[in-house]
Order: sequence, then C-alpha cells, then structure tokens
Amino acid sequence: MVSQGQNLLGRTAIVTGGGRGIGRAIVDRLVADGAHVLVCGRGNRPDDLAAEIAWVQADVGKSSDAEAIVRAARDAFGAPTILVNNAGIQITKTVVETTDEDWDLVVGANCKGMFNMCRAVLPFMAEHGGSIVNIGSISGNVADSKMAVYNASKAFVHALTRSMAVDHGPKVRCNAICPGWIMTEMAADGFDLASDPARAKADAIARHPVGRLGVPADIANAVAWLVSDQATFATGQCFVLDGGLTAASPLQPGLF
Amino acid sequence: MSGKLTGKVALVTGGRGGIGRAICERFLAEGATVFAGDLSDTGSMGSSPQASAAFVPLDVTSEHQVMAAMGKVEAAAGKLDVLVNAAGIEIEKTIEHTTLDEWNRCFAVNVTGMFLTSKYALPLMRKAAGGGNTASIINFGSYDGFIADPGLAAYCASKGAVHALTRAMACDHGPEGIRVNAICPGYVDTPMLQSFFAGAGSGGGGGTIDSLRDAVRNVHPIRNYGTPADVANLVNWLASDEARYASGQLWILDGGLSAQVQQMRL
Repeated sequence: MVSQGQNLLGRTAIVTGGGRGIGRAIVDRLVADGAHVLVCGRGNRPDDLAAEIAWVQADVGKSSDAEAIVRAARDAFGAPTILVNNAGIQITKTVVETTDEDWDLVVGANCKGMFNMCRAVLPFMAEHGGSIVNIGSISGNVADSKMAVYNASKAFVHALTRSMAVDHGPKVRCNAICPGWIMTEMAADGFDLASDPARAKADAIARHPVGRLGVPADIANAVAWLVSDQATFATGQCFVLDGGLTAASPLQPGLF
Repeated sequence: MSGKLTGKVALVTGGRGGIGRAICERFLAEGATVFAGDLSDTGSMGSSPQASAAFVPLDVTSEHQVMAAMGKVEAAAGKLDVLVNAAGIEIEKTIEHTTLDEWNRCFAVNVTGMFLTSKYALPLMRKAAGGGNTASIINFGSYDGFIADPGLAAYCASKGAVHALTRAMACDHGPEGIRVNAICPGYVDTPMLQSFFAGAGSGGGGGTIDSLRDAVRNVHPIRNYGTPADVANLVNWLASDEARYASGQLWILDGGLSAQVQQMRL
C-alpha cells in the first residue's frame, strides 16, 4: 500500500453503499486520508466498521432517507464537502426480461438514489464548497450483454455528473469514475456461474492490458485524488479506470 | 504529500516548457530522479533558465537525438519508470493557410516525437517494470482532440492521433507492465496560451487581451482556466503507484469546459 497523507483532514464525507466492496475501500481510504466519514447502506452496520465511522441504515432511493443521511453527517461531523455516490444495483436481464419491479429497483438506486443524495447535499456544498464523485461504469459507455437497464442507468449517472458540474461550479466540482471489472464478491459470483470458471477468469484477464482485474483499492485511489485539493481543475468528467479494457477492441483474435 | 515517486526515474519531454517545467518540479518534490528533455535549457518559449531537473538536449523529431537522450538516462540511472511526452507545438491556422511544412512540423513534434521517444524508452522502461512495479507513459493529448477550436486544424488532428496512439500503446505494452495514458488539458496558463490571447485568438471579437482572458475564464464551469500545477497534479497521480490500474485512457482536465454544450466565442 502506498503511504497516505492526511490531506482530507477534518473534512466531512458521505459514502453511499459503503458497507462492502468498492464502497468499503473508498471509506477506508478517506478515513486514512483524515476525513470524517458517514456511510450508509440498506442493511445493518457491518460488524467490522471502525468505531469512528458513522453508519446510517437507509435507502437512498427514498428522498426522505437521503435528506436524513445528509443531516446525520452534518450533525455528526459538520457540513459535508465530499459525497461519493457508490450505491448501486446490478440486474442481469435484457429489456424483455426486465419487470416493473426490476426497473424500480435499478433505476431507484442507481439514478434516483444518486439524484436524491446530490439534491440533498448541494445546498451545503453551495455554501462550503465541495466535491462529488459518482461511481459510473464502463457499462454506461459500452454495453454489457443482458444488463440493459443497468447499462442505461450508468449512462444517466454520467450525464447527471456533467450537468451538475456545469450548474454548480465553481463552488462544487462533480466527476464520475467509470470502473471496469473490479474483483468484488459480485464479480466473483459471476465467474462461479461460468461453465469453466478458471478459463473465464483467464480470458477476462487476457483482455486487460494491465494483465489483471481491478481491485477496490484501485477505485479508492482515484476517488481520493478527485476529492483532494490536487484535483481543483478537474470537473465534469467521467474518468474510465478499467486496466485498459475499453481501450482495446472487443474483437481479440488472439483469444479465439 | 511528498515521496510518491521516491526511487523512480522520469524523463519529461518539453521539460523546460510551461507545463513540462511544472511537471519536473513536482516530480523532484515527490522524490524522483528527473531528466528534462528540451530544445534548449531555457525552453523553446524562452522560460526562465532556473530549474533543477537535469537538462538533456532533445529534439523529439530527431531519431538520433532521442537515442542519445535515452543513452544518457541509461548511463545515469539504468532504467526509466516514467516517460512524460509533453513536447508539443501549435499551428494557429486553418488548413487552407497551413503550409505543408507547418503541417509536417506539427505532426513531427506532436505525434512522431511521441512515437520516437516511446519507441526508444521501452527497453529502459522494461527494466523498471516487473516485480509488482508498473512503468508509466503519459502522453499529452488535448481537449482539442475531441472538440475543435477554430483555427487550429493541424493541432486538433495531431492530438486525435495522440489519443489513438495512446490506446494502441496501452494494448501492446500493458502485458509488459507498462501503462500508457494521455492527459487532455483544456485551457492552461502557459506561454502558448498567452501567445494565443495576444495573437489569433483575439481576432474575432475585437476585444482586448484582458476581456478575452475573462471571457475564457467565465465559460468554464470552474470559472478559471488551469495552471501548469493543476496538470502536474494529475501527471503525478498517473505516474505514481496509486494509478497502477489506470491504462489506455484519456484523462480530460479542463475545468468542466467540455462537459457542457457551449461554444467559445472568441
């Protein structure tokens, strides 16, 4: 692990969906960099969450919950100047297979949840300044098969990112990070479902110019940079962090 | 903050220019051994000569000079962890007014130079990569590789080529542990930008340099153009082990300029 400074010392940060996976790595990194962090998730507080980290059980898809999260952060640590919208839901279905309930679940969390959180936090940031980082996806730029509504929801994230940067700059900066394949429990489950899991994983790795899949800390590294004072000229962008996956053509004859 | 590049060896082309100089200074502050390649020790735009990064005479369009520069880096440091291709020129003309010599010069510096320095840096970068360490090439693309500014045709085209070359190099050399990314700055306060304010850029509206400068600031969501230090911040991150999963991408750093549907009226 690279040594970290305390360049977020005393800042109040909110990370949605921060209980596990990528969100958890972001939480750990922001804490290491000196921020006071409030985390929310739909379940109970994770047992292994450090005591100084605040937890709110909430559903960001509900606007009242989003407002409660922001108030809780302000009451615990002072006005939030960092928001990381990481909470997201992935459903593997085509348009035809997607039910009304699936739509509500995916769009509710990925689109409305992110919108709710931004709407609740922007008044604080308009006063104190701030940086929002949304977790988009390469799937918002190029389609993953049988993930129709998820792909579309991430394109929504990218577009709202640009809109908020334009509308709420210069006080507020807003960027997205678009991860590729990051090894989380969610991704590991995907490989387990393949007919030949070992071959599937080797194939996936071979498609990455950096020769490996991502880890949650890779995304946390980029979030830490974007919310820091190192990135005061960065706004309105969707930064792809995918080990080179989408820089290469999806047609790779060497893997046939 | 310091020490993110401790033990790393870096070569910055255009290292005595506005942005290149800021990158060299940042790399030194982060503990790297830094070589600044440029046409002259004072830089092609005549910046001040005080700089502590070791100067290497380097015309990136000369295969012979590129090979000699890499030889100097090898003799002094034995490896190269970071190559920053910051050398670049702008031709402020439409294609109709651009001579073939100007067009060729623009591509020679902005594209062929990147090809040559990267080609001859690779053997040295393989010595740095491995054992969990990645080497990093950072190319200078531009916002203009995506969106055209008026009267910069050859420059826009050359930056589009840089973006494609960046992806190609990332695919080819990633398996060797060499990451390749491009930084795509928008408007950054350099001698090149000041020259633009003083020259062709002020032609359209008939305003003063100051009114043009304010107009440029105000069209940015962040309400300012960037500084070389802003760019150096991102270069430093991409060069560091923090960015070990970042490859093949174009990192736009433009204060939000290209996030909006809005044309500069200059």
